[in-house]
Amino acid sequence: MANTKKVKGSEALLLSLIAEGADIIFGYPGGQVIPVYDSLYDYSSKIRHILTRHEQGAVHAAQGFARATGQVGVCLATSGPGATNFITGIADAMLDSTPIVCITGQVPASMLGTDAFQEADMVSMTTPITKWNFQVTSASEIPGAIAKAFYIARSGRPGPVVIDITKNAQVEEFDFSYEPCTSLRSYLPTPTIEHSAIDSAIEMINSASKPLLIIGQGIKLSNAEKELISFAEKGNLPIATTLMGISAVPNHHPLFIGNLGMHGNVAANRMTQDSDLIIAIGMRFSDRITGDVNSYAPNAKIIHIDIDLSELGKNLRVDLPIKADAKGALELLIKGVKHIDRADWFAFATEMDAIEKSEVTDNCSDPNGEYISMAQVIQQLAVAEESNAIIVTDVGQNQMFSALYSRFNHTRSFITSGGLGTMGYGLPAAIGAKVGVPEREVVAIMGDGGFQMNIQELGTIMQENLALKMIVLNNSFLGMVRQWQELFFDARYSFTNLANPDFVAISKAYNIPAKRVTSPAELNQALEELVNAEGSYLLEICVMSKENIFPMVPAGASLSKLIYK
Amino acid sequence: MDKEYILIAFTENQIGVLNRITTCYLRRKINIESLKVSESSIKGISMFVISSYTSLETITKITKHVSNFVEVLEVSYYDSNELITQEIALYKVSSDMFSGSERVDTILNQFGARMVELTPKYIVIEKTGTREEIESTRDKLDQGGHLIEFTRSGSVVLHRKSIDKILNNLIQNK
Repeated sequence: MANTKKVKGSEALLLSLIAEGADIIFGYPGGQVIPVYDSLYDYSSKIRHILTRHEQGAVHAAQGFARATGQVGVCLATSGPGATNFITGIADAMLDSTPIVCITGQVPASMLGTDAFQEADMVSMTTPITKWNFQVTSASEIPGAIAKAFYIARSGRPGPVVIDITKNAQVEEFDFSYEPCTSLRSYLPTPTIEHSAIDSAIEMINSASKPLLIIGQGIKLSNAEKELISFAEKGNLPIATTLMGISAVPNHHPLFIGNLGMHGNVAANRMTQDSDLIIAIGMRFSDRITGDVNSYAPNAKIIHIDIDLSELGKNLRVDLPIKADAKGALELLIKGVKHIDRADWFAFATEMDAIEKSEVTDNCSDPNGEYISMAQVIQQLAVAEESNAIIVTDVGQNQMFSALYSRFNHTRSFITSGGLGTMGYGLPAAIGAKVGVPEREVVAIMGDGGFQMNIQELGTIMQENLALKMIVLNNSFLGMVRQWQELFFDARYSFTNLANPDFVAISKAYNIPAKRVTSPAELNQALEELVNAEGSYLLEICVMSKENIFPMVPAGASLSKLIYK
Repeated sequence: MDKEYILIAFTENQIGVLNRITTCYLRRKINIESLKVSESSIKGISMFVISSYTSLETITKITKHVSNFVEVLEVSYYDSNELITQEIALYKVSSDMFSGSERVDTILNQFGARMVELTPKYIVIEKTGTREEIESTRDKLDQGGHLIEFTRSGSVVLHRKSIDKILNNLIQNK
């Protein structure tokens, strides 16, 4: 038992955060959290508070921080509108299993339910989009609630937790002591792995002739990157990744065959359809990955390993469901799996890569050399960054081009809003990532639409002096919707063209060096400048207005029905 | 095919759990036919009994979803045949119903009910039975035009095998 000390609730909150190792928080003050901010004033040497320009910026920054570091991200906002501005980020973190603790102020307990000024029922509103939430109404509940919040957010399948603290609880004094939470009788985050299921899996893997290993973010979340590689190498298994799994395996690894899903690689999708055994680990068979589930992997038996029981069999039939964390399962699988030569199977991957090259990649820049293509930008950026940067994307074409053409040497290097598809995520998430791992190069890649959804966060970059690199792929369109309109709605471009401001001028107004390029000839040098910039830097790249991202599996179609143009 | 499934969950008796569990139904647009929450035979552990008409696939997913919640200790779903299910209903009927030649207790016997309150204007009768029995009595009273008000409890259930076993396991394991 730690020593007790009489403190106010607001100070107890900070002491609890420090005890959890959370010394960086993203926040925005307001009426019902003034006591917490007052205490922060005394703790500025122990807790770094990053003032965003909008609460949505704070929550996405906490997500970016969590995704880049593997630690729990923390954000703080006032009650009412401050708290509701967190909602999108919380929903995003829920779908993408991102561990964050969101602390919101609340009206005094005596005024709950009175429609008091800036009262919003955060507990009810966030119930379906949190892993856990709790309202604190007296100071003495604070350490216990924070301890539980961190334990729940980071353990098992991670997720967002909301702690709503009434103002009276922030100002009351009590005897503070802190004990971390290490277990809850109703919550068993680490499943016991059924060894018989592992044995069956090994048998299936060793007798498969066209196995395909499909991995998701679960590999990163359970720090199983090494085990994954050892397993795949030992069994000679090709690895494909979901959008959320990107960067868990380095692109240059010989067993890596690419990305899955709607805008995935030809090899990964075609091999799914040809495979006789899918070994899916730490992923959830989202509709963006499977396409039409009825025609998904028609020849394959499916082994699905996930820590979350509710994912097993949720979206499609599974022949062998295994409830396990990725690392634990892989450690057991490695022991039994045999190396089998699968020359024909790998040759098929090479063949599919050749198709993708000739059908898509070779045609992805402007044939007249007049305009820059998004594909070209991402390809050249990967070269300029030598595959070492953390790429944080927004949502839309910019995201899919980044997924397809970025290259990674290190895990936790691709940060994107996968499940919710939140436009406006990129800039603040990149801020969070840069704050979390300042020693690494972080590049935010955004479209002109998404950039403007949280453009105010340029102010945060300025105030915090963050050496964040930004690329705005400006096609003056909401490109992904425009692409769908072109392909599926007779090119009726309903409200997808944007009249944009001068992004370079805006950036400079925030004291962030910026440059605009429009021709392919300027691109390489501009990217070099971006890479070499000491501090923050924004590069606006005017790209072809009607470029499409291919390959593509139309929504709801079979993975076999890939389109190339 | 949709049919009645009864979900039984044992949870920590904490605020917000009810809300969290019902969101699993709400988000799939499944109507809850009846819901009962009360303390189980273990102090501090609540027992939820939720009945809904849905498919086997959906109830399986709901059950897995509920099992994920931090406060949930145990959850299973049952076909209504697997459980002994009883409800209590109160019927307020007009005293005119008893103005004929038949004796009150004959009528009550017919319905398997008993009298709870008697006034010159109305009589309140109570009946315990399955949902079908309670509904059938309701229909009969309603057809006669005698029913003034009607209320029923949610389902009180016992497993034909032994739900106590689950509870005992909970105590031993946790």
